[in-house]
Amino acid sequence: MSSKYGGYMGKVVQVDLATGEVSPYPWSDRERELYIGGKIMAAKILSDHLTGKEKPFSDQNLLVIATGPLTGTGAPSSSRFNISTLSPQTGLLASSNCGGNFGYYLKKAGYDALILRGQAREHTWLEIRNDKFIFHNADGLWGKKASETQAALSQLLTQDGAPDKSGKLCIGPAGENRVLYASIISNERISGRTGMGAIMGWMNLKAVTVTGNHVVRPYDPEGMLKWNRKWFHYLRTHPLTGEQLPRIGTAGLVSQMQMRKILATENFKHGQNESFEKVNGERLAEEFNVVNKGCLTCPIRCARTVALDGQEVKGPELETLGLLGGGIRNDNMELLLRWNYELDELGMDSISAAGTLAWAMEANEKGVWNCGLNFGDVGGISRLWEDIAHRRGIGDELANGSKRLSEKYGGKEFAIQSKGLELSAYEPRHAVGMGLGYAVSNRGGCHLNGGYLVILEGLGLNIDSQTPKAKADLTVMFQNLMEMISASGQCLFTSYAFFPGFLMSRPNAWYTQAVNKVLPHAGAAVRLLNRFPQLVHMHLSPVFHHTRGFQYATGMPMTFGKYMSIGNRGYTLERSVNCRFGVSAKDDTLPKRLTDELERPDEPRSRVPLDKMKPVYYAARGWDSNGIPTRSTLRRLKLKGGG
Amino acid sequence: MSYRITDKCRGCTLCAKNCPMKAITGTVKERHVIDPDRCVSCGLCGRLCAFGAIVDDRGMAAAKVPKDQWKKPRIDPALCAACSVCVENCPRECLAISDPKYHGDITMIALLRAPEDCIGCGICAARCPVEAISLV
Repeated sequence: MSSKYGGYMGKVVQVDLATGEVSPYPWSDRERELYIGGKIMAAKILSDHLTGKEKPFSDQNLLVIATGPLTGTGAPSSSRFNISTLSPQTGLLASSNCGGNFGYYLKKAGYDALILRGQAREHTWLEIRNDKFIFHNADGLWGKKASETQAALSQLLTQDGAPDKSGKLCIGPAGENRVLYASIISNERISGRTGMGAIMGWMNLKAVTVTGNHVVRPYDPEGMLKWNRKWFHYLRTHPLTGEQLPRIGTAGLVSQMQMRKILATENFKHGQNESFEKVNGERLAEEFNVVNKGCLTCPIRCARTVALDGQEVKGPELETLGLLGGGIRNDNMELLLRWNYELDELGMDSISAAGTLAWAMEANEKGVWNCGLNFGDVGGISRLWEDIAHRRGIGDELANGSKRLSEKYGGKEFAIQSKGLELSAYEPRHAVGMGLGYAVSNRGGCHLNGGYLVILEGLGLNIDSQTPKAKADLTVMFQNLMEMISASGQCLFTSYAFFPGFLMSRPNAWYTQAVNKVLPHAGAAVRLLNRFPQLVHMHLSPVFHHTRGFQYATGMPMTFGKYMSIGNRGYTLERSVNCRFGVSAKDDTLPKRLTDELERPDEPRSRVPLDKMKPVYYAARGWDSNGIPTRSTLRRLKLKGGG
Repeated sequence: MSYRITDKCRGCTLCAKNCPMKAITGTVKERHVIDPDRCVSCGLCGRLCAFGAIVDDRGMAAAKVPKDQWKKPRIDPALCAACSVCVENCPRECLAISDPKYHGDITMIALLRAPEDCIGCGICAARCPVEAISLV
């Protein structure tokens, strides 16, 4: 079942944990052309299985762990792998992307994807060694935290004295206890969003290790090498990927967000936090950061390490810094670093944990739910994380997330979630395109699946952040591009370099200002490109290296237009699966706080005009006014029968 | 992807003792076997075997090479981006990413941390995405 294309290993395997049966999953070159890999491939596999009646915690659900064709080829930042499933948090098809080394090793074992299903009869860890699948009892690992689990696995795998050359996935106590936003951990990197860890917990699957000795072969190794040299050099000299990200990480955005009034503060009541300087990326870099690190294969190296209790541990990303900083009125950086580590160790998504906590604090303040939690009252939070992970006391309730809590107690208008998934730290009332993205995103309130328009609305460029003009069309374009970058196995940060360096480093130059002025009026042109991507029948190589890189790696002919249209296919496919579960325009919402309350009473535009943008977005996508992809759209995207 | 041992093997155990992946098993004076799932094709067994009993993954007989002629990786600091692919793939774990030279330094590169452990297999050079590593 090997592939004629480079980059792929040519095998997909499915494992039924209930029966222990391991079997190949049919996946053809035609499907590789249409669905590439990663999250789009996973969406197709799930689309073929899900009818709209399945429940997340059931034998009918699948956990699809998929790599992209570029994973392991040497392309920059290509260790990413994707986990997709029917999410316990949203009840819909959701995906989560991770930079750990599991995907890299999965390919070394000879597989492009691993499909897990069923509930094991006992606590299990699965060892994969090329084509050998060994189920081990995991009673000795159950209850252990993430790093403890991985260290124990490492010890088990190296008993004979050979070095540990394996990729690992595991869950922490939160996953075991099915906290709805439990994460899956690989090394120190987290597949955090949408509760994938709870699915593994339901499966009784504590961990998966994979090792092998296959080699990933690009289609054109010579071309790939030459191109990689250019691409690495470009990323390392770009102001965002070669300077800002390695130096201060994503955390560096906190100060920019403060300036642009998009730093979520006190459960999204405000867009600015007056004590942001105590919990920003600059302070993290100067006082706490030990060294910057990177995922395997990445030249950008945006990860932080900090010292905690005498050991070097992973530092926080921007979302955690924002939401567990100003988001709950905490300005104690030391505590924040500790919580970030604890959440990773317990195996919970720090965004949803922080969002749920902020909701609870406001609910307590308003008398909606007297849980004893208060903004700024930060003692005892560490114990609260433990309680959530083990579902003890109020932790048992908090483990269900803000959507379910607000349905039970009231306070939906300030439950900052969409489709059940808590929003990231970008406050959208001064970045309304991001607001639209949060609302329509397939996996719920996620900035990345939402199109990340904040990059235009103040964090890279600086277009009018409050006009709805062109935002829908730009959102479609960015969502499609990011969908495809993920599917090919690369990190979304490689796309930062899409914005030429001179625009980023000179925000006040006339040409940068001109671009800022023109973009909101370019909606029609962007829509034309989205509708007829074949018009861009070329590579945009000086700034966008992905298409040529993809071509060298796989041998599949690629252009920028084709790249966008495959992204569009993936996004629409995910949507059409979600529509089977009843998703329509009514679910593409934001809490009233963001759409109806003004962030600043004196600024009438400081809210998200979602009603204005949504119809334009649906039209730009070729979905009907109720947000359902039309037959002709599905046919155009070669998804006939997929809807 | 695996090396093999032919019937020229005399069971001297030298390869089994040295294999970094512990992929070789066998008893003294009997033909040894390489576990194809463990072998990473580093070729150390072939370079040590005095009897020419090892064939590589293309079926070619491996030649004995004295230890002082084993090549070592040299890393071009201008090309290396500290992506860690070499570190991750080194079967002897003798490569590492350098420490920052000062607080806030972001110019780390890969380096041969333990040259005495290096077996000159060249896996680091073969996997480097930008060919920043040459064997000298």
